[in-house]
Amino acid sequence: MTIMDTFSAKRRMPALASLPAWPRVQALVRTAGWGILLVPVLVLIGTQFTRTIPWPVMAILAVVMIVLAPALAADLAALGLIGFGLYAVYFALRTPGPDNTIHPTSVHAQPGGYYKVLNQQPSFLGSTYGHGVLLDLVAGVLLLALGCWLVPRTIGRHARLATRNAALASRVSRLTETRGAAVDTASAELRRVERDLHDGAQARLVALGINLRAAEHMIRTNPDAALALVAESRRNSARALGELRALVRGIVPPVLADRGLPDAIQALALDSPLATEVDMRLPGRPPMPVESAVYYAVAEALANAAKHAGASQVHIRAAHQAGMLRIEVTDDGHGGADPARGSGLRGIERRLGTFDGILAVSSPPGGPTIIVIEVPCALSSPKTSSC
Amino acid sequence: MRVVVAEDLFLLREGLSRLLEAHGCEIAAAVGDGPALVEALLSERPDVAIVDVRLPPTFTDEGLRAALAARRQLPGLPVLVLSQYVEQLYARELLADRAGGVGYLLKDRVFTDDQFMDALRTVAAGGSVMDPEVVAKLLVRHARDEPVTRLTDRERDVLALMAEGRSNNAIAQHLFVSEKAVSKHCTSIFDKLGLPPSENDNRRVLAVLAYLNS
Repeated sequence: MTIMDTFSAKRRMPALASLPAWPRVQALVRTAGWGILLVPVLVLIGTQFTRTIPWPVMAILAVVMIVLAPALAADLAALGLIGFGLYAVYFALRTPGPDNTIHPTSVHAQPGGYYKVLNQQPSFLGSTYGHGVLLDLVAGVLLLALGCWLVPRTIGRHARLATRNAALASRVSRLTETRGAAVDTASAELRRVERDLHDGAQARLVALGINLRAAEHMIRTNPDAALALVAESRRNSARALGELRALVRGIVPPVLADRGLPDAIQALALDSPLATEVDMRLPGRPPMPVESAVYYAVAEALANAAKHAGASQVHIRAAHQAGMLRIEVTDDGHGGADPARGSGLRGIERRLGTFDGILAVSSPPGGPTIIVIEVPCALSSPKTSSC
Repeated sequence: MRVVVAEDLFLLREGLSRLLEAHGCEIAAAVGDGPALVEALLSERPDVAIVDVRLPPTFTDEGLRAALAARRQLPGLPVLVLSQYVEQLYARELLADRAGGVGYLLKDRVFTDDQFMDALRTVAAGGSVMDPEVVAKLLVRHARDEPVTRLTDRERDVLALMAEGRSNNAIAQHLFVSEKAVSKHCTSIFDKLGLPPSENDNRRVLAVLAYLNS
């Protein structure tokens, strides 16, 4: 059972049989343990209190408990019903029959050496001796039946909640971990952008200003030198543009922003020195951050295939099925890629993790290397072009 | 030469218009978004259009799409596409109809205005001009292909310059050789790549680009 299944489970009391095997065993053992402890206690309480509180009141209390109890205790309350049912049956069977024969258990030793028949003792239904035995029996059997019917259902609910709690706990720890990674990645990325701007375009613009100022001074006295400075300034501005372009490509690849994932991956394939075949049909666009993470994952896979795998052909397949975007990058290289060694793939894995995505690498020595990227996401309907 | 300019940034649009006028071009229209561009191209039918890839309203590849749409209605309408970045994918789409009269250059190529005006004239005359960056990427992709490996270094230089859309004369000047030597290299390149020989400059460039794009 996946986390998603747990969250989408309908809010009904599931039958015990609908639980997977292991949670069912756990639930049964847990409730059986409570049953061994609780049922005798409840039978005991029943024998002590039904003399003062009539059993229908007790049964109604038990039903109210089941309704009001948090799901975690409902199965215990249902066990209570079984306890009361058992007591009612027991009470009916120990009461003397209508022919007034004395049942040994209702004969009490009296001081003075003779026996007195306690024929005034109320029956379980509160009636006097000899009446309502049948009613007690029927009520006891009904209570037992109700309890037996309720127990597996309430155990199911209890177990389902326990499973959901466990799933929630693991989800929270996963989110904490990936959120940390996402924040780290984002701030590292910002630092890189800042550094690149500082050392690149910014520095060139400063040089540009200085050169132009110098040219301003020289333009009358030494026009040739001024001209040379202006020409250099122009070259510098072109270089600054080049650096900015590379930087922007690293933030949002242009084709990805313009066209979306399939065309962006097609563009990656065209830029790759390997013969790359792209087989990709998506009925809509994934959310932008997912597109971006998947794009860089494929870019890394392609770069690795060209740099390390000695591959000559790469095949990229993508499909979206049952809420899962799946991309497979296969190369015909010599294999032996180890995701634990390369920091590139680990970074990609962290980035995908933010979206509950995974990256799996199969790369036996001798190849082929297959990299599978899976990200759960919904696709938005394709935008209609305006021209 | 009557030119339509499509660029959404006012400063660049004005700068470009001034540069073109300084070189004796007439600005038929200067527009700032995709739909206006299609309209201007279809109504003005300029000798050449200079189009920025990214235009409003979508700020995606609106300019490229508008230019391609206009060329579907007016086949061979000369379009020079300018962009802050060059993508092989877009180059391929521009060249797909094999009608020629397309150019695809980085915006900063405008800085060297003589070469830029040469490129503009080539496109207006039905030639094809590709940015050296696109050509470099195309060559990288074919670097390991059998026929390309048989080219000499000099032949590869000539191939690159030819793919950029330069004439034999321009290639000769660039490589400091005679035009005759360039034409000898061209024959050899066409021979090695198995392309049919052609005397027409424009058709020769298209053949080379089609080969590299395959």
